Amino acid sequence: MSAPRQSSPPPVLEAESVSKSYRLGASLVTAIQDVSLSVASGELIALKGPSGSGKTTLLNLMGLLDRPDRGVVRVGGVEAEGLDENARSDLRRDQFGFVFQGFNLIPVLSAAENVSYPMALKGVGRQERRRRAIELLESVGIGHKHAVRPDLLSGGERQRVAIARALATANLDSHTADEVLGLVRRLNESQGVAFLLATHDPRVVARAHRVVHLHDGRILDQAP
Amino acid sequence: MNAFSLAYRNLARQRRRTLLIEAVVAFGFAALALATGFMIQSFDSLRAAMIQQIGHLQVMHPSAATNSEETTLEFGIPHAVRARALAATVPSVVAVLPRIEWVGLVTNGTRSVPYLGLGVDPGPEFAATRQRELVVEGSYLQGDGGDEIVMGTGLARALGVRTGDQLTLLASTVDGSLNAVDVRVRGLLAIPIKELNDRTLVGGITLVSQLLHSEGTVSKLVVFLRSERDLEAASAALAVRLAPIGPVAIVPWRTIAVFYSQVRLLYIAIFGFVNTVLVLMVVLSAAIVMTMAVAERTREVGTLRALGTRPARIRNTFLAEGVLIALAGSIAGLVLALAVRAALNASGIILPPPPGAAVGMPIHVGLYPSAYLFGLAVMVGTMLLASFFPARRAAHLSIVEALTHV
Repeated sequence: MSAPRQSSPPPVLEAESVSKSYRLGASLVTAIQDVSLSVASGELIALKGPSGSGKTTLLNLMGLLDRPDRGVVRVGGVEAEGLDENARSDLRRDQFGFVFQGFNLIPVLSAAENVSYPMALKGVGRQERRRRAIELLESVGIGHKHAVRPDLLSGGERQRVAIARALATANLDSHTADEVLGLVRRLNESQGVAFLLATHDPRVVARAHRVVHLHDGRILDQAP
Repeated sequence: MNAFSLAYRNLARQRRRTLLIEAVVAFGFAALALATGFMIQSFDSLRAAMIQQIGHLQVMHPSAATNSEETTLEFGIPHAVRARALAATVPSVVAVLPRIEWVGLVTNGTRSVPYLGLGVDPGPEFAATRQRELVVEGSYLQGDGGDEIVMGTGLARALGVRTGDQLTLLASTVDGSLNAVDVRVRGLLAIPIKELNDRTLVGGITLVSQLLHSEGTVSKLVVFLRSERDLEAASAALAVRLAPIGPVAIVPWRTIAVFYSQVRLLYIAIFGFVNTVLVLMVVLSAAIVMTMAVAERTREVGTLRALGTRPARIRNTFLAEGVLIALAGSIAGLVLALAVRAALNASGIILPPPPGAAVGMPIHVGLYPSAYLFGLAVMVGTMLLASFFPARRAAHLSIVEALTHV
């Protein structure tokens, strides 16, 4: 179920009847089956479900990290399945931010460089991306650690760098980022919760979100 | 944050492994540069020796270039004095040496040995050719040579003669009769090619003309130029200047020095094989290291891809690592090569005689920038080759599989 809106904005991200199976030895395991989900601009959606329910697979498909066996994923109305790897890379670079469970920071880059990496890919100037990276790190409370490499950061600090990196892609100003971070922090309080964050619209609505329940590769329900 | 910046940091992170592969590259570079330098040095030395011996160009009768003489000076150049003077007017010509080549018997009264005779103009011959370096006993011919000769130490040994001894030269004259002259041995030459050392005998043109009854005729004119670069122009100019004396062939030294081309091919084959083995060893070592680097950073590659890095950029980062290793390894290899070169050149090691030669040469590795540039180019190419397949694999990893890689 979508977050209630007065007028229904067009989805910025949409999965339509996507299915994905993986080969496990001789058998074929269905990870998700015929799942449809749309994310409107400014929506925050939490995916919940037991292990193996298909949360990660759905995130991978909707994050353009993988391709569905059937169905389509649309980003801003563009069907991603018809795009080549470069175009999909550019879409991820421009439209997505990822916070991985293990944070996945690049070990040879400092905290600020990790945050600014997606901006570097977009061709943002060195001074500008450094300024924005430090600003984002300050938003998550570790501005003073901007020059530190990930291996010298605590787990919590790494998580904040990962969040700041995801926000860097979203091109948020610091005030909006603070609002989003409030949400992210609340969502992260409960373990095992994944989230989809669509931030294409700068008027991020802090409290509007849905929780999507997955089970055995299917959506059980979507609750606000 | 370009590919080289990321590559440098990744190499610095794996310092020990980076040093190891750089050491392999350094060794490969040094071996390649030294071997190539030695090969170029050998070619240069051999070419210089050949040119000193046979000149840059030889002027001969057209038939002499393709046929063997059945009688003495059958294909000689008449009016040699005039031809020599005309040839000397070509600006790039620095010396024109008349030579008479013939065969005969030399006897000490009790023993006769066949010889290969060389008639020369002693002064210019001594100045322009290697023969002055070959004198190991007595001295070279003086003036017009008079009734004196110099000969290979092998021939002298066969006859049991030393400098100052008397000998008699026998030969067929140009009209087919047998003639003889008495000569005195003035000096002995250690000719590096054994077959020549055992047979060569050198006398002045005047003496030889008297023996062969060949006044005014020589077998060839040996022409020395200012530089090998003048070869084609000088050849054309000589053809024009010498037209008045009749048909002549102007033959460049490479056509005559078949031995040089054969030795060159042999060296190229040997060094080519050794260098190929060397490059393969570096490629295999580097490929293993680069494959390990990709395997270890699979998760990182997945992250970079997820963040929107294009496959080509991932590939270029790993290729950049290969290039940086090649550059750093080559710099270390340059230092190593210079040190080994200095040690080898100071060692005084005598190399075995090359094919056809009687004496070995002291080892000397020349300093040729082209050899070092070649080494650098090969190492960069080698590292790019070694990195290419691991880099391509990294670029095309499945993002999902890479992110879950343990």
